[in-house]
Amino acid sequence: MMEQKLRQEAKALLEQKKVDWIVGFETGSLKFTTTPLITKDIADTERLVINPFITNNLANFLTEIEGRVGIVAKGCESRSIVSLIQDNKVAREDLVILAVPCPGIIDLAKIERLVGKDRDELEDISRDGDKVSVKVDGQKKDFAVADVLFDHCLACELPTPTEYDILLGEPRLPTPDLKASGQNIVDLKELTSAERWAKWQDEMSRCIRCYACRNVCPACFCERCFVEETEPQWVMPMPQWPDNLIFQIIRNIHVAGRCTDCGECERVCPVNIPLRSLTREMYDIVGELFKFKSGMDKDALPLMVHYEQEEAEEFFK
Amino acid sequence: MTQESEWEPKLLGFLCRWCSYAGADLAGTSRKKYPANIRIIKVPCSGRVDSLFILKALRMGFDGVLVSGCHPGDCHYQTGNYRARRRIAITKKFLDYLGIEPQRLQASWVSASEGGKFAEVVTDVTNGLKEVGPNRLFERKNDGAKTKAGSEGTARTKKG
Amino acid sequence: MAKKISKKDIAQLLKTWSQQFTVLAPSRASGVAEMAEWDGKDTSFLDWYRNTTVPPKASFLPPMEEMFRFRKDEEGYRIEPPDKNGRKQLLFGIRPCDARAMAILDMTFEDAYKDPYYLEKRRNTVLVGMGCTNPCESCFCTSMGTSPTDPTNVDIMLIDIGDHFLVEAVTDKGKELITKTKDLKEAAKSDEAEAEKSKETSYNKVVRKLDTKGIKDKLRDSFDDEEFWEKTAAKCISCGICTLLCPTCYCFDINDETDKGEGTRFRSWDSCGFSAYTKMPMENPRSEKWRRVRQKVCHKYEFYPMAFDVIACTGCGRCIRLCPVNWDITQVIESVPDRVKGAK
Repeated sequence: MMEQKLRQEAKALLEQKKVDWIVGFETGSLKFTTTPLITKDIADTERLVINPFITNNLANFLTEIEGRVGIVAKGCESRSIVSLIQDNKVAREDLVILAVPCPGIIDLAKIERLVGKDRDELEDISRDGDKVSVKVDGQKKDFAVADVLFDHCLACELPTPTEYDILLGEPRLPTPDLKASGQNIVDLKELTSAERWAKWQDEMSRCIRCYACRNVCPACFCERCFVEETEPQWVMPMPQWPDNLIFQIIRNIHVAGRCTDCGECERVCPVNIPLRSLTREMYDIVGELFKFKSGMDKDALPLMVHYEQEEAEEFFK
Repeated sequence: MTQESEWEPKLLGFLCRWCSYAGADLAGTSRKKYPANIRIIKVPCSGRVDSLFILKALRMGFDGVLVSGCHPGDCHYQTGNYRARRRIAITKKFLDYLGIEPQRLQASWVSASEGGKFAEVVTDVTNGLKEVGPNRLFERKNDGAKTKAGSEGTARTKKG
Repeated sequence: MAKKISKKDIAQLLKTWSQQFTVLAPSRASGVAEMAEWDGKDTSFLDWYRNTTVPPKASFLPPMEEMFRFRKDEEGYRIEPPDKNGRKQLLFGIRPCDARAMAILDMTFEDAYKDPYYLEKRRNTVLVGMGCTNPCESCFCTSMGTSPTDPTNVDIMLIDIGDHFLVEAVTDKGKELITKTKDLKEAAKSDEAEAEKSKETSYNKVVRKLDTKGIKDKLRDSFDDEEFWEKTAAKCISCGICTLLCPTCYCFDINDETDKGEGTRFRSWDSCGFSAYTKMPMENPRSEKWRRVRQKVCHKYEFYPMAFDVIACTGCGRCIRLCPVNWDITQVIESVPDRVKGAK
């Protein structure tokens, strides 16, 4: 239903020259995968899909595409888009936002753990309301949706964009389950300072500095990242844990107020570093200290631009 | 300081040129005593201080960092210290979560006329650092090398 | 005469070999699947191992490696080369795609300049290959000059025959080691027949295919087709995953880390995908993403064949399954137009 409507609308937008580009999802080359579709071709719009595997945050492409863009946006994308508008990185008039009310995206890694098989060994995955059925070895296994969605989807505060031009389906209300999605952070907070630091040393020891976390993030749009600076050399480019950790710490501080907890960074990390345990904590810090939630209000000032006369200075001597 | 304690904390201070740095000068000319553990870098405004400086300082081996600027409302550049306040606030909470001792990042508002306050702040911060001990945050640990690659090709050099 | 070993005796076998070598085996202990020093007892990899995420090249060209230390004293700079421990290694369980990749890497590191860091480790390592029984959806080794059970580039080859592995010597090094290894049993003719069957089954499980005929010329003819490369590169995000985790990629960066007059020179993994990779003071010839994507494809499928007569890709599939946006090299190669025939 939504898919049909999306293809029609996208086709019309290109035909009527209301946009130069369509950015959406199409079927990927692996099972249960989608891949971004970025096209000027009217014929390509037939390949647009909406399904439980549309993981990417498409807003990431907005800072490099020139021209007017018709962009498919789940709730998290729309927040990133709004955040980019706040930062003057993209103009609202240059966008036609095709809103997809999102019921949550399936985390293949969770299914793999629950079923004990790799994703390419599964025959089918389908969602029916609150249930997700996985067909493997001829048998069907059912799971509660809350067990197989991404953690950040469980915490989602905006499943349906509020900033959009075309709404593709019935709006969904947010039902964030922060307990389910924040367990890692809760566990970390139970440790002592020294134990937490040791844990991060451990996690960052296997970072290979691929920068996928940074490059997949819509909030990271600097043309020259601080890690590329050599005068002065803030962080060494070698993948040693102190520099890896400083890279993550600073990246999180730099995107504070613009990170929308879309979870892409953790999903793409090839060496399974629990990056969301950093990004979500920063997101919560920003929310707690300044009552600021990124990407919710396109007319709000960015986090680091706004200030109140009196705020957040208990520890200032 | 005394001969008994061998280790003296190294504190890096980022002082804004218009208020805090002047305040530090005043502390000097007024002969207010404060510990010599602080090394000062003058910045145009506390808002100039990117959290990158703070992390780099800790990485290099400083035991603590102090960022000091004009009182809110008095910033020479109008809003610079508001940025600093927000930035340092989130940095402080974040570093705390990561496991860095809270005494290692401190901040203050010191105006050009507050020589006494500056001396107090530095004394306070230095004592806090003495309590929390030397910065061993970035000392290399060796086991990370073992699982990586297996061969001795990955170097985790032992320094000093 | 082939040998065999029961899967239940693998731990014992590795223990035996541990007396002579540092044994590296598949491990997930660090949080990611990679070849790591065997911990002395864990053989659970026999259950989960299809392939590692970090390729075995990491054992020869590590993510980070010390080249030498230097110190300044009254007389000038002193250079200290890293301790050459001359330790013998045994890499257990390398897949044929990754073993072929090692051979491809050798061509570069043994070329005009013989890289001492790489070669010292390479020459001191015995490769014990393990044939695949469960190729991934992303694998396409059969199109890239090898197969799931190809023994060509290892010293000893293990073929899965159910409860046992058939153990075959491939090189003299391998033959010598097998002769000295008492834990191996004699294989029967039926075991060898079983192995042949197993090889065929594995071969047929590789469903992904890629026709690389004429790709070198096709790429040469498409070099200036900016429109093609822009379209091809559109969804790439210029991270380093495909290159850093590719078993045949070898780009590295060299940096000095200094502290008051002494320091260490390191080399570490680098990627042609990074936007700053070709950045120089005056210009960056590959500042546009499409140029970098073109470079990666052409390096592997055109330039390396020009230099060494082999495509620098073994179909291991890591780039496909780890790419954040599912950019797929097989789709890209298939889409390169054949201009001679006038297609596209």
